[in-house]
Amino acid sequence: MKVTIQKDAIISGLQKVQAIVNPRTTLPILSNVLLRAEDGRLWFTATDLEVSVRASAEGQVIKEGGITLNARRAFSIFRELPGPEIELEADDDDMAHIKSGSADFHMVGISEDDFPPLPKFDEGQTFTLEQSQLRDMLLKTHYAASTDETRQVLNGALLSFRDDKLMVVATDGRRLALVEQEMELPDETSLDLIVPSKTINELIRTLGESGSLKIVAGPKQVAFDFGGMLVISRLIEGTYPNFRQVIPASSDQRVPIEREALLAAVRRAALMTTDQSRSVRLNFLKNQLELVTESPEVGTARETVAIKYTADDISVAFNPEFLMEPLRAVESDEIFMEITDELSPGVIKADVPFLYVIMPMRIS
Amino acid sequence: MDAFFAAVEQRDRPELQGRPVIVGSPPDQRGVVSTCSYEARLFGVHSAMPSRIAYQKCPQAVFLPVRMERYQAVSRQIMQVFESFSPLVEPLSIDEAFLDVTGAVRLFGDGPAIARRLKARMHALTGLTCSVGVAPNKFLAKLASECQKPDGLTVTPFDPDGIRAFLAPLPIDRMWGVGRKTQQLLESNDLHTFRDIQRISVEQLSRYIGQSAAMSFKQRALGIDQRPVGNTRPEQSISRETTFPEDVTDHERIRTALLDLTEDVGQRLRRAGWYAGTAQLKLRWAGFETVTRQRPLVPACRDDAHLREAALTLLARLPLTRPVRLIGFGVSHLQPDAQATTGQLTLALDHPPAGDPKQERVSMTIDSLRARYGPHSVRRASSLVTPLPTNK
Repeated sequence: MKVTIQKDAIISGLQKVQAIVNPRTTLPILSNVLLRAEDGRLWFTATDLEVSVRASAEGQVIKEGGITLNARRAFSIFRELPGPEIELEADDDDMAHIKSGSADFHMVGISEDDFPPLPKFDEGQTFTLEQSQLRDMLLKTHYAASTDETRQVLNGALLSFRDDKLMVVATDGRRLALVEQEMELPDETSLDLIVPSKTINELIRTLGESGSLKIVAGPKQVAFDFGGMLVISRLIEGTYPNFRQVIPASSDQRVPIEREALLAAVRRAALMTTDQSRSVRLNFLKNQLELVTESPEVGTARETVAIKYTADDISVAFNPEFLMEPLRAVESDEIFMEITDELSPGVIKADVPFLYVIMPMRIS
Repeated sequence: MDAFFAAVEQRDRPELQGRPVIVGSPPDQRGVVSTCSYEARLFGVHSAMPSRIAYQKCPQAVFLPVRMERYQAVSRQIMQVFESFSPLVEPLSIDEAFLDVTGAVRLFGDGPAIARRLKARMHALTGLTCSVGVAPNKFLAKLASECQKPDGLTVTPFDPDGIRAFLAPLPIDRMWGVGRKTQQLLESNDLHTFRDIQRISVEQLSRYIGQSAAMSFKQRALGIDQRPVGNTRPEQSISRETTFPEDVTDHERIRTALLDLTEDVGQRLRRAGWYAGTAQLKLRWAGFETVTRQRPLVPACRDDAHLREAALTLLARLPLTRPVRLIGFGVSHLQPDAQATTGQLTLALDHPPAGDPKQERVSMTIDSLRARYGPHSVRRASSLVTPLPTNK
């Protein structure tokens, strides 16, 4: 292969795929990125066998072909080249020759034949939506997913297509984030995809502000095709738990609170938590929300936020991290907190239709 | 009880009486002495000594396997004897218990009198001897019970000065909570006896072993112990481990051994009425290097299915690249219900928050079948890769 390409183009192409590359893998080929010159473009492919990502950049293809190079090292080299144009050539001995201005590199690669082929599937249900829509939904929910490997079905986000709606849900069993979006679906559509967190993070990183996105869902895999990118991911097998049963049908109190003020107050109060006592107590008092953290070995913090509240005092404790994450993820100026008592789930609603259920912490 | 396992064997088989008896691993296999009779102790054999060495010291000893079920049955008889003297009985192990006899004095006489009656009744009903310590608190009673074995009866002083003097000459390793490491630490600071601890200030002691340990060591050195007798001792952990007769590389065998241990721990956990908040795996490679891995159980559980899942997840984290000598499984952060009394509550997803009642029922049904028909009456099919025990 031989191609000449702008430095900026090759850098941005590599950036899109290299997050997938696992630098410490037992298979050396998985530390590599596949570079292939074809159809007037340079194609970048990376995989960890669960998620595969392909991006491309326009270039001048002099001879078609491909080679795989250690992703990290190649990226460092391309980034440091004087530019603005780079010539990349691979010979039959899997050696890459990289030239740019005064620089001349010869880098040992591995044959593209050794690179795992992109999973192929032609059949599957297809959905189309705006890239920014999905990105926004993932941003609002992804942080709630579990990292506990014994609950694999929670190690990702649920994308549920039914009733002319896309719903995205993530939970780790202690809090749950959910967001819905109206979307035209073929009649009788009813499909649940559990997409691994790694894929979700890659999508958040690469989905754009504009442009459309095509989702093709097969029985075991899903492909996201957008803006010249292709992300193909394994789906997590299993049935997502019935999350609807944990969403409280009603709560005793629905309190509007200014989002930024609450976030800042929780953030400050959290400074006084420790590994042993990692909770912030929310005291809903007359027209005032009081936040208190107490750690015997560190000290105490007390914060107040003005609210409209006239019902009986309620006190409930939460993990401050679990409170801050949704407050950071949504944009609206005002959120609603729904609370019942110190042992019942609390609910945060914002940017309708965003919903977050958070279990309290019991304090002795 | 005196040399409990060995004493039970000698009682069950009169031909063994007066002979050195060692209960534990056979001398030609790896493993240790669990208990040995006093006849064997004369030859320098003691518990936890490798059986191979025990054999070198006492080749004429009769080596017997551990018959835990038998000892458990006798243990129940022993506990019944204890309970005939006081309702306040706190079992400490299979053959030891604390008795609060404050309320029994009018009925049976003072402490020493009750102790004499207890020893007599124990011998009459079980044919076994025991050593009793009579003291104003649990710590002293336990120490006293160990003073004259076998068949001993030791009464400690009851006044502070007398207690102090009684404790003063004892070596530091007799103090509850002092293991080998702590002993080394204390001795390297020239603290060898209870007297040394009695004399040193708490501040000074804190510098060696930390404040909370210093406080409690100081109290114990003075014979102060306010803990009530009762079934209140919070269990810290439950664990089991097994040493393979020879180092093992067969993954299936390691896995099966682990699952057997897991079920055993599960059964003890359920019998004790706890839920476990943490699971721990221990592996010792050939060559003695030991690694442990642990993970939280959320929500806490006590059924075999969840414990197995945790055990296997932990095992998967340790690449079995070397032969394995020992494997162990344990649970800790024991709590009275699945939902911790403090801490993060969980959503009622498919894992119900109160443990997993269905799986618990399965496990408890198996427990009761095993209690009734023997430990091998119900087995996992996967455990059948090891041969079924032959009927004896």
